[in-house]
Amino acid sequence: MTTTTSTAPPKSRVARVLARREARVAFLFVLPAFLLFIAFRFGPTIAGVGLSFFAYDISGEITFKGLANFQRMVADPLFWRALGTTVLYTVFAVPISLVLSTLLALGVRRAFRGARFFRSIFFLPVITSLVLAGSIFVWIFSGNGPWSKLMAPLGLGGSWLGSTVLVIPAIVIVGVWSRFGYGMMIMIAAMQDIPRELEEAALMDGANSWQRFRSIILPHLKPTVFFLAVIETTAAFQVFDVIYVMTQGGPANASYSLVYMLYDQGFKYFDYGYAAAIGVALFVMTLAVALIQRLVIGKQK
Amino acid sequence: MTTMTPPQAQPLSEPQTIPTPTRNRSFRALEPSRAGIVIRWIWLSLAGVLAFFPFYAMVVLSLKPGQVVELPGSLIPWQDVSFASYEQVLSGQNILGWLGNTLIYSLVSVVAVLFLSALAGYAFAKKRFAGKEVMFWSFLAMVMVPFHVTLIPMFILMAGIGGVDTYWGLILPTLANAQAVFLMRQFIQGLPDDLFEAARIDGAGEFRIFLRIVLPLCKPILATLGIFVFLWHWNDFLWPLIIAKSNAMFTLTVGISSLQQQNVPLSTMLAGSVVALAPIFFAYLIAQRYVQEGVTGTGIKG
Repeated sequence: MTTTTSTAPPKSRVARVLARREARVAFLFVLPAFLLFIAFRFGPTIAGVGLSFFAYDISGEITFKGLANFQRMVADPLFWRALGTTVLYTVFAVPISLVLSTLLALGVRRAFRGARFFRSIFFLPVITSLVLAGSIFVWIFSGNGPWSKLMAPLGLGGSWLGSTVLVIPAIVIVGVWSRFGYGMMIMIAAMQDIPRELEEAALMDGANSWQRFRSIILPHLKPTVFFLAVIETTAAFQVFDVIYVMTQGGPANASYSLVYMLYDQGFKYFDYGYAAAIGVALFVMTLAVALIQRLVIGKQK
Repeated sequence: MTTMTPPQAQPLSEPQTIPTPTRNRSFRALEPSRAGIVIRWIWLSLAGVLAFFPFYAMVVLSLKPGQVVELPGSLIPWQDVSFASYEQVLSGQNILGWLGNTLIYSLVSVVAVLFLSALAGYAFAKKRFAGKEVMFWSFLAMVMVPFHVTLIPMFILMAGIGGVDTYWGLILPTLANAQAVFLMRQFIQGLPDDLFEAARIDGAGEFRIFLRIVLPLCKPILATLGIFVFLWHWNDFLWPLIIAKSNAMFTLTVGISSLQQQNVPLSTMLAGSVVALAPIFFAYLIAQRYVQEGVTGTGIKG
């Protein structure tokens, strides 16, 4: 390991020795974290992408297959089903979560008796693992649970988790429940940066609350909304826990998501190569979102 | 393996503090009227009841073992209360063992992540050395990679080196935390150099400076980050699901989800949920603001 540091060349011998010592120490400080990174992030990422070009299973035999895994994926109706389910979940969960976050943030952003109490209540689901809380939701959405009783007058009674159509809305509701408090907190922080004078001036000019929201608060929130949309979308692409504990991908694969498929292929069928290919598909989707984000931010500047 | 956060996104760059609601007495124009407050209370209460209902139902139904659940009768908290489900889940299942495993998984990871990321963050923030930029940006680029891409190779690696069903196999891979290094670097960059220089002139060794000066100054960010890492490990599921194979190695999430597949009665399941969630709720009750900052301030949710 060479330790030459020279953006500005050291003047004396002593300074040079000191700089070299500093660099050595700094390198040692970074080393443990860096080694962990190579072993558990960098290496596995490259291996994960690489593995998608191989056939590799529990027998330990590994053979190069070129694009075979991807060809199989494109021809696999289950993959399209999982992709469709994942996208459908994302398309509903993300906007609903964002709207709810904004609405509740508007409700509790300023001080009033109970503001802190409501914030705490709304934040509680965020720290709650859906795996640990899963069984109550299984009951809530079951045939004799409160949700189906509530929805029966609308003709939507019965078990939502047993219905191939209603299972996605049920998962979306639980997903939104577990995440809206996070968005709400981020929104509150962003709303606090809006100059009070602006809102007061608008109020003096007779703007009603919708007009104030539309023309003052919302433009201010734009970057935050965008940031949250990206975070929520990438998180929604990875939906797994809630499905694992509530439906196991069912009924009839109606809630089978991409990560669920990856888990199934990898740890139920031990088809590591194919599972890695699904991981690559997920990677590409995530990169696409990041790219869109880049483009939009670039445009704003 | 946290939910990825794009590094260029704004809220990640500075740990945010959540403003406490305070009354601004100078201007009253935006203060809602009495009627406005009442209306707000009504709709917020409605939302609050909906958000809280699952917790309420969880606790109440866990106290009603052996009954057919009837609505709304079973949700009345004071009728036919019995702690039998708790006895069942505490004696019949290894839930205390799972709790212990979860504590080990979370606490060891917090200490190790905080120490390693502070060490690396300090070097990245205040030191000059060859390859610094390349290293730092490769750390950051990894934030973009979903954990699931690495899942299969990590499992194969762990199976190869005998890490499956061991504590170290569970913990070690989760210590590579890019967000933590990034946040530590951001924070330490804001500390004045003079502090370290003075100690150096006094002849203190580099590691001593780190332990005695850098770490104490980092207390606020260490608390925020620590809570986040702790919570994330407590709730982590997919990785323990793959690595913890035997019941004796299960974390709470893996154990509780295994109950669901055993056809355990609802009230027993819920008693398990309550026991598993209680420590986190208790901690939240004591340190609400820190927990809220820990989750939102780090810009990530697991």
